Amino acid sequence: MRKSLIFIGAVSLIAAPALAGYKLMPQGKSVAVAKSGLTVAPDRPWNKIGQRIGKNAETWTLDGVKLNDVTFYGGIANDTTLFREVDKKNRPLPRFSSTMLIPDIAGLFEGSYRVAVGTSLMSIDSIEPANFAGHQGFRFTYNFTVENEDVKRNGEARGAIVGGKLYLMTFEAPTIHYFERGAPAFRAMAESAKLGAVKK
Amino acid sequence: MKRLLLSLGLSLFASSAALAADPIVVGKDYVPTDKDERGLWDIMNEEERKLKTSSFVMRDPALNAYVRGVFCKMVGPQCADVRIYLVRTPYFNAAMGPNGMMLINSGLFLRTRNEAQMAAIIGHEFTHYTGRHSVRLWKNIRAKTDAAAWLSIIPVAGWAVAGALTVAQLGIMGSLGAFSRDMEREADTGSISLLAKAGYSPMAASNVWAQLRDEMDATAAARGKKSQKDKAQGMMASHPSTAERMVDLKALAEKTPVVGTPVFNRDPYRAALAPHWAAFVDDQIKLNDFGATELLLAELAKEGWTAELLFARGELYRTRAKGDDLAKATGFYRESVAQVDAPVEAWRGLGLSLLRGGQQADGQAALKTYLEKRPEASDRAMIAMMAGVPK
Repeated sequence: MRKSLIFIGAVSLIAAPALAGYKLMPQGKSVAVAKSGLTVAPDRPWNKIGQRIGKNAETWTLDGVKLNDVTFYGGIANDTTLFREVDKKNRPLPRFSSTMLIPDIAGLFEGSYRVAVGTSLMSIDSIEPANFAGHQGFRFTYNFTVENEDVKRNGEARGAIVGGKLYLMTFEAPTIHYFERGAPAFRAMAESAKLGAVKK
Repeated sequence: MKRLLLSLGLSLFASSAALAADPIVVGKDYVPTDKDERGLWDIMNEEERKLKTSSFVMRDPALNAYVRGVFCKMVGPQCADVRIYLVRTPYFNAAMGPNGMMLINSGLFLRTRNEAQMAAIIGHEFTHYTGRHSVRLWKNIRAKTDAAAWLSIIPVAGWAVAGALTVAQLGIMGSLGAFSRDMEREADTGSISLLAKAGYSPMAASNVWAQLRDEMDATAAARGKKSQKDKAQGMMASHPSTAERMVDLKALAEKTPVVGTPVFNRDPYRAALAPHWAAFVDDQIKLNDFGATELLLAELAKEGWTAELLFARGELYRTRAKGDDLAKATGFYRESVAQVDAPVEAWRGLGLSLLRGGQQADGQAALKTYLEKRPEASDRAMIAMMAGVPK
């Protein structure tokens, strides 16, 4: 069961969210996320989930992770995984490399999900340039379905590679109703993203 | 792998077998009578109901007809009792429920190399069914544990959510190992006789296991780890070891007479699967298992490296991007685009591997070709920027 808790976020679908603690993230206040120099100012209140999916990742939700979630990846370093390994021995996750091109980042993300969540129904639907936190970055969209659950989800990612590290935030929610409903809150938050020094 | 193991567990579970000759013969008129068996059927019927609308089930009529045709050729009129579902999951497995529901993973098609090998697996699962193995195992489980503990595993949830298994559940499964091992042997024996009766080479069964062992070696070698092929792992422990299985199946096959000249039917198998290779290979590449994927691609390329296979190999190397992988990827893409039927994405792969390798001009040129050939590309905005052309 412990292992399943690793999967908050994307990956949240396998989690038992009731077991994780929540913290209210108030609107309008700039807050540092994912133990990094990345800050965002949410335009409405969110709930931060206590359990992290990785050392440099954290997940927020509006209505519960099965309905919508934002996951922040704060400075993924060269040769590390996006989130914690699920089964390192038998199903190791792909690793980020500082030399990756933007399409490679989308590929890394898709590959990590396919291995961790266990699905073959996943695709990247678009990739385009978009500034992120004052840096030249990217936006990509995707969709996936988890096998036991069979609910199709859409996702949107914004990010940039800065100083050889990957900064990324993703939003995902069921395609029916929830994605369109929650996406504006995510987009507003992505626009508010700033990158500064890590506060110790 | 966990997921694979879990599904093996379920297959074993959902398929188990009576050891002693059981007088009851299952079939379409068979109705379970005692409450354990009825309960198991209820659970499986519910799983099948969900499966019927699942987006993971591959509904291509031609492929379904082909697999079903092979099955019916092997088991005769009894094939009417069984519903086959082809599931888009890139791991090697098949499973059979006591109610006549059979699941075959797409990952199996990439690993069996001909019709006879596929038939060997189907015959194995069918023997579990006719032997009512699952009921026997179910009763055994019921005797050992609270059935409620099992309800969380049995649902097809199984193959997606291995992570949700508790240590206790895994332990229970482990304790059932000895019982199901014999059932697995029985199913192996059953598959050999079904193969022989249908005119297939019974050697096909042991070949499948030899190939799986090679694949485990390849996975381990590429990861710089020790091969797991002789290790009883987790749920696999409930199956005989692959080595033992391979040897037993071979010995049995040698003793089993076949009517006429035994066939493997590689060509019809390849033809039936041809429309699906690209998707299955793509699923495999994204598993981050370089060694196994390289081995499977080489097998598919036995009759020659097609443009599609060269493209796949380029993707595999470009994805790993270690050492001289990018240079090798570039080579494979170049060979691919030199063929008339090259996938358009080979130009994309070529451009990206060149760019990442620092060859700006050539990389941009390849990306431009990609956009010319696929103006509606979903990643157009990004690729156009990288290629230095207007959106």
